[in-house]
Amino acid sequence: MSEGLAESLERDSALSLDQAAVGCNFQVKSLEGPACRELREIGFCEEMRVRKIAGGRTMLCAVCGTRLALSRDLAKQVRVTPC
Amino acid sequence: MSEPAEQSPLPKVALVGHPNAGKTTLFNALTGENRKVSNYPGVTVERTSATLRTPHGEQFEVIDLPGSYSLSPNSPDEQVTRDVLLGGLQGEPAPDLVICVVDAASLERHLYFVLQVIDTGLPALVVLNQMDRAEEKSIRINRQVLSDELDLPVIACQANTGHGIVQLKQAFRFPLPPATPRPWRGPGAIEKSIASLQRALEEAGQERAGAHAIHLLADTDYRGETRPLLSTECLASAREIASECNRQGVPPEDGISEARFHFIRRVISASVIERGARAQSLSDKIDRIALHPILGWILFAGAMFSVFWSIFSFAETPMGWVESLFGALKNMASGMIPKGDLRDLVNDGMITGMESVVIFLPQVVLLFLFIGLLEGSGYMARAAYLMDKVMSRAGLTGKSFLPLLSGYACAIPGVMASRTINSPKERLLTILILPWMSCAARLPVYLLLIPLLVAGKTGQTWMMFLLYGLGTGTALLAAWLLGKRIGRNESAPQFLMELPPYRLPDVGYVLRQVLGRALAFLKKAGTVILGIVILLWALGAYPKAPEGENQLSHSLMGRIGEAIEPAVEPLGWDGRLGGAMLTSFAAREVFNSSMALSFSIDEEEEDEEAVRTMIRERITLATKEDGSRLYPPITIFSLLVFYIYALQCLPTTIVVKSETRSWRWALGQLAGMSAFAYLAALAVYQGGRLLGIGI
Repeated sequence: MSEGLAESLERDSALSLDQAAVGCNFQVKSLEGPACRELREIGFCEEMRVRKIAGGRTMLCAVCGTRLALSRDLAKQVRVTPC
Repeated sequence: MSEPAEQSPLPKVALVGHPNAGKTTLFNALTGENRKVSNYPGVTVERTSATLRTPHGEQFEVIDLPGSYSLSPNSPDEQVTRDVLLGGLQGEPAPDLVICVVDAASLERHLYFVLQVIDTGLPALVVLNQMDRAEEKSIRINRQVLSDELDLPVIACQANTGHGIVQLKQAFRFPLPPATPRPWRGPGAIEKSIASLQRALEEAGQERAGAHAIHLLADTDYRGETRPLLSTECLASAREIASECNRQGVPPEDGISEARFHFIRRVISASVIERGARAQSLSDKIDRIALHPILGWILFAGAMFSVFWSIFSFAETPMGWVESLFGALKNMASGMIPKGDLRDLVNDGMITGMESVVIFLPQVVLLFLFIGLLEGSGYMARAAYLMDKVMSRAGLTGKSFLPLLSGYACAIPGVMASRTINSPKERLLTILILPWMSCAARLPVYLLLIPLLVAGKTGQTWMMFLLYGLGTGTALLAAWLLGKRIGRNESAPQFLMELPPYRLPDVGYVLRQVLGRALAFLKKAGTVILGIVILLWALGAYPKAPEGENQLSHSLMGRIGEAIEPAVEPLGWDGRLGGAMLTSFAAREVFNSSMALSFSIDEEEEDEEAVRTMIRERITLATKEDGSRLYPPITIFSLLVFYIYALQCLPTTIVVKSETRSWRWALGQLAGMSAFAYLAALAVYQGGRLLGIGI
């Protein structure tokens, strides 16, 4: 019961990558949306650490030492928590 | 003695990996210069292969497969890689050994693809490339642990310096390593589904049943389409088992990908140590300027301006050489062949025809050289990132930028470069609007006509910018409008792109690419264009006019011009302009030769600019019966507008057909652009007349 609650709290505290602050580090919690597979395969998979470098219509992130650019609609499909 | 490859094909080694993993650099380091470039059967994706001799004296054929993030493809290029590995590409048997090239500095991102390759059941090995980047980022990889976990040989390599190449070549020896069993395990329901599908496929007589079973369950699209390699019975079994998994609440795609990622996390925690905080790399420092919201745009504008300025400036001298060469050829032909039809055919038909195209070779070469260098340096991905903001307003993404930029040199490589675009809708839109990027073949027409409208270099340069801008602006507007009609049910294209680290471009590779494009360009000059110009010459030379009569008005070309005059009159053109337009329908660069013929200019003149000046003089001096100018400025502008928009390039139409796999799109594009060009020229001429401008 308490584990389920913790999980649910964690999920609620997650925010989408487009809402995340620029210059901060995050960890990918989950992916929700039609482009999940593509996002995972390029590097935005669960538990991966992400640094958001630039925001706006086309965002820039550092994932696993590589810079990835993605549009806002894709960023909305990535749920992250600060780390 | 015949080639051994002809008797029995050499064992085949395939290089696979993410784009930017250094696959092509490794291919070059392994094979040197003896490459062979062809196309995969049935598709226009380039197949690069070469023969490799190992230190043990054995020979292999090495193929460089298109870069892929996944074996569940998102673009036509990735589809080729998947199909080759799964043996689904007819005429291209599966390789005997697969080399997975991974970026050592980004191992975690690359391992998913490695697992997919292992799941194909082919013997494989892993090359940890770009070890210097890993060291720079304080990443240490325990190769032995990684090798034990994956149950594959792991070889460290630095392809650009040649480090590790000998060790890699030594790994190519018979017997080749056996295929590795799948290292990851999924939840019970998934494992059960894989096993039962594998059994069903085996019973149906399917080869490599294990590999297909996993792939059919892991990829919805793969089991959704009819495939030449898989029977309908196999596909039906896969769909049935996948549906059963879904009913149990364990979608097989999610179950398999979660199991793979779970395994990757375990492998990474066991084999990779990151010491200390990552220092800012040189790429990060450059990006602070290159991707800056203001400085980034200044740098981008500067880079693009420099490219185009260099093309126009540096090309002048080699263009002069081309002119001299063809002038000398004409002189030689005149000296060897007596005056008559044969000399006219050789000089006015063949040599002039070739010259009208080859003259632009320096510009095409320079544009491809700059594009290759920018791409090889890693900057082109940054340009795509910046341009995404602009392109997205037209319903495209930054991924369309490179194909559209290539279109300024030649539409054909631009259309082919669109293969890297994931979204089918965006890809089609890019292909459809691409011919409106003013290509090098339009330049001679612009260079001929602009001085008739504007005097002085500055004014002419601005006019040139206006023409390029008109084409580009209309193309983006058309993409926005067409995007609302084409693929209405598809979601808007999304931009997702890796920005590779900056590096010094592989100049040898870039030069080889440029050479390939240059040869393709010359081939076009020697085939399509040459044929058309010979035909044109014949149309102007026959039937022979009786003594005292004008040859041109008596010739077939003159008669054609007369026949189409009513159709082009509303555009302000006469039969001669109409005839020149018509004859340049398959290749627009023929327009100048056609105009020279129409105005009876002796093309034995050595200097191309002198020919252009003579055509301009005749155009300016031509008058109607009432003494007014036959070709007022508005007529010239109407002609220019027509040439901005008309798709007068037969090879482009053929390539569009092969890339879209549909004559409907290719011919629709041809008809649409021709109609638009006509209407735009009509609007310009009639509008100008109404407003009293340029008449």
